Amino acid sequence: MTLLDFLRDEIGLKGTKKGCDSGQCGACTIIMDGKTINACLVLAIQADGKEILTIEGLSSGGRLHPLQETFVEEGAVQCGFCVPGMILSAKALLDEKKDPSEEEIREALSGNLCRCTGYVKIIKAVQRAAALMRT
Amino acid sequence: MADTFKIVGKSFPRHESIAKVTGQAQYTDDLEIPGMVYGRILRSPYAHATVRQIDKSEAGKVPGVLGILLPQDVPNRPFNCSGNPPSPMLIKDERVLTDHPLYVGDRIAAVAALTKEACAEALERMIVKYQPLPVVLEIEEALREGTPLIHPELFSSNIFKKLESSQGDVERGFAESDYIFEDEFNTPAVQHVAMEPVSCICHYMEDDQLTVWSTSQTPFQERRVLAELLDLPENKVRVVKPIMGGGFGGRQQIHNQHVGAFLSRLVRRPVKIINTREEEMYASVVRHGSVCWLKVGVRKDGRLAAFHAKVYLNAGAYCTHTPIVLGAQSRKFQYRIPHYRYEGYGVYTNGPIGGAMRGYGNPQLTFAREVMMDRIAKKLGIDPLQFRVMNHLGAGETIPCHTFPLRSCAITECVEMGERIRNEIERREASLHKKAKVSEAWGVAFACHTSGPSNNEGMSSSLILVNDDGTVNLLVGSADIGQGCETTLSQIAAQELGIDLKDITVTSGDTFSTPYDTGTFASSQIYVAGNAVCLAAQDLKEKLCVALAACYHTELEMVRHEHDHFMIETGQDKKISLSFKEGVAKVMFGAKGRILAGFSSFKAEESPLPFSVCWAKVAVDKRTRTFSVLHIIQVVDVGTAVNPEVVKGQVEGGISMGLGYALMEQIEMDQRAQKPSSSDLLHYKVPTALDMPEIHVAMARMSYEPTGPFGAKSVGELPVVAVAPAIVNALSIATGEKINFLPLSKVFMPKGRSQIKKESQ
Repeated sequence: MTLLDFLRDEIGLKGTKKGCDSGQCGACTIIMDGKTINACLVLAIQADGKEILTIEGLSSGGRLHPLQETFVEEGAVQCGFCVPGMILSAKALLDEKKDPSEEEIREALSGNLCRCTGYVKIIKAVQRAAALMRT
Repeated sequence: MADTFKIVGKSFPRHESIAKVTGQAQYTDDLEIPGMVYGRILRSPYAHATVRQIDKSEAGKVPGVLGILLPQDVPNRPFNCSGNPPSPMLIKDERVLTDHPLYVGDRIAAVAALTKEACAEALERMIVKYQPLPVVLEIEEALREGTPLIHPELFSSNIFKKLESSQGDVERGFAESDYIFEDEFNTPAVQHVAMEPVSCICHYMEDDQLTVWSTSQTPFQERRVLAELLDLPENKVRVVKPIMGGGFGGRQQIHNQHVGAFLSRLVRRPVKIINTREEEMYASVVRHGSVCWLKVGVRKDGRLAAFHAKVYLNAGAYCTHTPIVLGAQSRKFQYRIPHYRYEGYGVYTNGPIGGAMRGYGNPQLTFAREVMMDRIAKKLGIDPLQFRVMNHLGAGETIPCHTFPLRSCAITECVEMGERIRNEIERREASLHKKAKVSEAWGVAFACHTSGPSNNEGMSSSLILVNDDGTVNLLVGSADIGQGCETTLSQIAAQELGIDLKDITVTSGDTFSTPYDTGTFASSQIYVAGNAVCLAAQDLKEKLCVALAACYHTELEMVRHEHDHFMIETGQDKKISLSFKEGVAKVMFGAKGRILAGFSSFKAEESPLPFSVCWAKVAVDKRTRTFSVLHIIQVVDVGTAVNPEVVKGQVEGGISMGLGYALMEQIEMDQRAQKPSSSDLLHYKVPTALDMPEIHVAMARMSYEPTGPFGAKSVGELPVVAVAPAIVNALSIATGEKINFLPLSKVFMPKGRSQIKKESQ
C-alpha cells in the first residue's frame, strides 16, 4: 500500500490529492522528515517512524500558515486540486531558504503541475509568504 | 465603468479558498458514502476490433468482487454523451458497453468490488477474445476512397457532418481581390489534463432513485441522458457536482457515470469510479485535431475582400460534440469581410474522441487565420497590428453568421494598453539578450470568443432564498468547476440587492436543490448565469417592495429601491429608509408576515463577443533550433470585470494552456501499435513553472456590454485562443520560416526562458 492510499483511505486524511498515482503531477506532495516526497511513490511501511506533514497539519489553532493566507489573498487558488501539494513544496523551500529568488521558486514548484493559474499568482503568493515569514 | 459599483469590479477572495488551502475541500474522490464500493471499466486495447468472446468466470471468483457487467447486461440503445441541450445534430452513435470497440479505451465491461485491489485483479482475470480490424487514425486516411467506414450502419462516408455557412459570394470576392493567399494548417489533438481525474459515485437505491456525485460541468444534461438510459423520470435522478478540480470542457459530457449507475443497480451499493491518469489521456476526450485549409483575398489597400475556410475535425470514433463545435467555429470571424464562406467537416476515425475543450473549435481555425493575417500584412508591407486593427469590426457591426450586432468592442484600447506594456518591456530589456547567436522577435494575434453558446442556446435560472436575519442563500444550477463563478455570481447578487458579500451563501450544481442551467460551457457563467442571478435579485427586491408597501399601508409606487436602500414614502411627508436587512426584519414576522424569495428564468438572445490581443516575444538560436518564449502580453475586453483578479487568473491560466498547445502538447499516435503513446504525464508534457514566460495581463477599462450583468462579458475560453498564433508569428519573424502546424516541438526545441538566457551567454 502506498503512503498516499494509507493517508487517504486508512486514516481518512483526504487533503493529499491523487492526480496521477505515478509521481508525475505532484498533487500528492507531502513532507517526510523535512523533505518533500510524492506520497504515491512511497510505501506506507517506508514511513514507519518518520515525521509526516500533510496539508491538514499546516494550520494551527485555527490560524492559517502564511502560505495558506497568501494563496487565498493572491487568488493563487482556482480549482485547488494542486494546491495542497503546491503549498507543501513551497513550505519545504521556505524552510531552507528564507529569501528565494523567483527562479528558485519556479524550480522548487516545477514538480507540481497546475493547469488553471499559469503559476503567476502562485509564485506571487510564495514571494509574499516568504516576506511575511521574514518579518 | 466598474468603479461605480460597490461590489462588482472588486477583487474579493474566492469563498471556498480557505477550504482548499487547508485540505478540507471535498472533491468527488474525497467523499465516502456508507456501503460504498469501487468500480473499474475494462477498456479495449485495440483501436478497432470485434469482441468474439468474454469469459468472466475467473474474474468473478476474485474475493470481494460483487458484480460484473458485460455488453449484453446493459441497454443496447445508442446515445450521445455530450452535455449540450438536446439537438437532432447530436448523433446517437455510442453505447454504454460495446462488443465492437472503435477506439483504444472503448468500454467493454465493468466490475464492482469491495476494494480497488479486487477491481484491478478482476480486470486482469477477465478473458476477452478480440478480432482486430483495420484501423483509421488520420483525417486524410479517413477521407480516402476505399477506406473502411467507422460507422457503416449510419453513414456511407467517414464524414458524418458537413456544416456550411456563408455571406456574400466568395468567388466574386476573390475575383475582386488584388492578392490571394492560400494554405493548409494542421493542429494536434490535445488533452485537458485537469489535475483531478474524471470521478463519479453512483448510488442506485432500492426505490429506483439514482444519485450521482460527479465531476460534471453540465449536471442537468447529465441527468437527462442518465434518465433516458436508465428509464427513470428526471425527478428520480439527482446529479450533484462536488468541488471540482478543473474541467476545461472535458467534463461537459458523461464519462463513466452511466457505467457506475448500472453497476450500482446491479450490486445495490454506491459505486465509486475514478479514472486513472492513463484513462484520462486516451480514453476520455481531446480537443479535435484538425486540418484547416484557408483562402483569403485582399485588396492592395489592405482591406480584406474574401475569406474561405474548409476545416476537417478529427472527431475520433463517436459524434459527441462535433457538429456543435463546427457551428461554434464558424462564428468567430472578427474582421470586416464582404464575402465569407465556412465549410466544416466532422470526420470519424478510430482515434481518441474529440469533444469539448476550452475554445471549442476556435483554437484550430483562429490559429490558421491569425498566421495567415501576418503573412498578408508582410506581403502588403503593413504593420501586422495595424493591418488587423484597420480590418476589425466595431460596435454596431455584425460578425459573419451571427444574428446580433456587436454592442461592445474595445479592441483599440486593448491594442494601446498592450503596446504600452510592450514598449515598457523593450525599454527595460534593451540591453539584455542582445547576443549575436540569438534572434528575437515579437508576434501578435487577435481572438474573440463568446459569452454563452454562440447559437444562443444559453439558459439559466436562479433562486434567492431569504433567511429571517436578512442574509440570503443563492441557488444557481450553474457549476463552478474551479474558475470561481460561485464567488462572481454572489458578487452580482450582492451588488443588485445592495447587501454585503458575506451575507450570501451560494449553492450550485445540484439537480435536486438548484434550478435549471444549461451548464458550464461556452464561457456562459458570467453572462448567462450572471443575467439570471441579476433577474432573481430584481424579482426579490420587487417582492420586498410589495411587502413593505403592505406593511406601511401605502401604494407600491411609494416604495423605491435606490442607493442600496428601500425608500418608503408614507402619507404624512415622512420618508423611511431601510436597508435590505431592515426591510426583511420589518416584513418577515408579525400578523402579515411573509417569506421572501426571488426567482428568474433567463434565456440568452445574444452571446456577446469578448476580445483579446496577444503579443509574444521569442528568442531563437537558429543553429540549434532551440527557442524560448520570453514574454506573453494579453489584453482582454471582457466588458466589466466582475472580479478583476478572477478574470486575470483566467487569462493567466489560458496563456499557460495556449503555450502548451503551441509548444509541446500532442496526443501522439504510435502508428505501428495503432494506439496513442501519450499515456501519462511523462510522455505528454504540460507547462511547468519553469516553462512559463513572463506574463503580463491587462483588461480594457472602457468596455461595457449593455446586455451583460453590470456590463460584463465572459472570459473563460477566450485567453487560450490567440496565444499559439502569436508565438508562431513571432517565431516566423525571427526565423523567416513559414510555420503551418502545432506543436512547435515537432521541428524546434522549446526551452524555458532562463535556460535560453544561460545558453546564449
